[in-house]
Amino acid sequence: MASQILPLELIDRCIGSKIWVVMKGDREFSGTLLGFDDFVNMVLEDVTEFEITAEGIKQTKLSQTLLNGNNICMLIPGSSGPDS
Amino acid sequence: MDEDSPPPPPPNEASPPPPPVAVSGSPTDFLKGVVGKRVIVRLTSGVDYRGILSCLDGYMNIALEQTEEHVNGSVTNRYGDAFIRGNNVLYISAAEPL
Amino acid sequence: MDSNASGIQEPFDLIRLSLSERVFVKLRGDREVVGILHAYDGHMNLILSDVEETIMIVDPIEGSPNSEGTVKVAKRKMNMLFVRGDGVILVSPPSRT
Repeated sequence: MASQILPLELIDRCIGSKIWVVMKGDREFSGTLLGFDDFVNMVLEDVTEFEITAEGIKQTKLSQTLLNGNNICMLIPGSSGPDS
Repeated sequence: MDEDSPPPPPPNEASPPPPPVAVSGSPTDFLKGVVGKRVIVRLTSGVDYRGILSCLDGYMNIALEQTEEHVNGSVTNRYGDAFIRGNNVLYISAAEPL
Repeated sequence: MDSNASGIQEPFDLIRLSLSERVFVKLRGDREVVGILHAYDGHMNLILSDVEETIMIVDPIEGSPNSEGTVKVAKRKMNMLFVRGDGVILVSPPSRT
C-alpha cells in the first residue's frame, strides 16, 4: 500500500491559505499561497519577506510573487511567519 | 421480474456545484499575467533588478527591458536589455497591479 | 502577444541578437567582463574576445559599522576568453535604442 498522503498533497490543501516558507539561507517568506508546481516554485500573494541579519530582521512587503523553488527548505502551513 | 426500479436521483438542491477552478494560481499562470509588466527580480545574492519583463523560459532565465540594478536600496546600474541566468533568481514579484 | 518591439520570444533571443556585439557580463565573485560575443550555448557558456575584466576588491575600513570601505578596482585584458555558464549572473547587450 502506498503512503497515505503525499507531501505535496498537503501543500495543495494549503492553496488559498497563509503559508510560511523558510529558505535554505537566512531568508523567510510568508503570504497567501495561490499555487505551485512540481518543482515547488510557489506563487504567493500579500507577501512579507524576512531577511535575518546580524542587525535584526529586515521585512519587505511584496505583491504577487513567484518564488523559486530551488532554495526552499521548509513550508509551514497556516502560519503567517516568524512573528505569529 | 424485478419490480424495483432504481429511485430517481434526489433533487439535492442543498449541495453546491463543484467549485470551478476559476483562478488557477499556478506559476505558469502567474508568469503569463506578468509578462510585459514591471517586475522586481531578486537574486539569491540580494541584488534586485527592476524592469519590464520581456520574456522568460523554463529555467527562469529572464529577459528584462529598461532594467535598473538595485543594491542596498540604491541604483547601481542601468541596462537597456538584460539577460539574467535563471539559477540566480530568488523570486519574481509584480511591481504593478496585475 | 508581441510584448516588445524588438521581437524577443525567449530570453536567449537577447543573447542571439548580441552575437558579434560588445556585451557586458556580470559573473559570480564580483567579477565583470566586457567583450565581443562570439558564441554561446544553452548553459550560457560564452566565448568573448577583446575582453576587459573588472574585479572589485572591497577593503573594509576599521571601525566602520556598515559595509563601507575603499573599493579597489583591478582590471586586466584577455584576447580570447571562455566563460563557464554557471558563473554567469547577467548579460547585457549594447543598448539598441
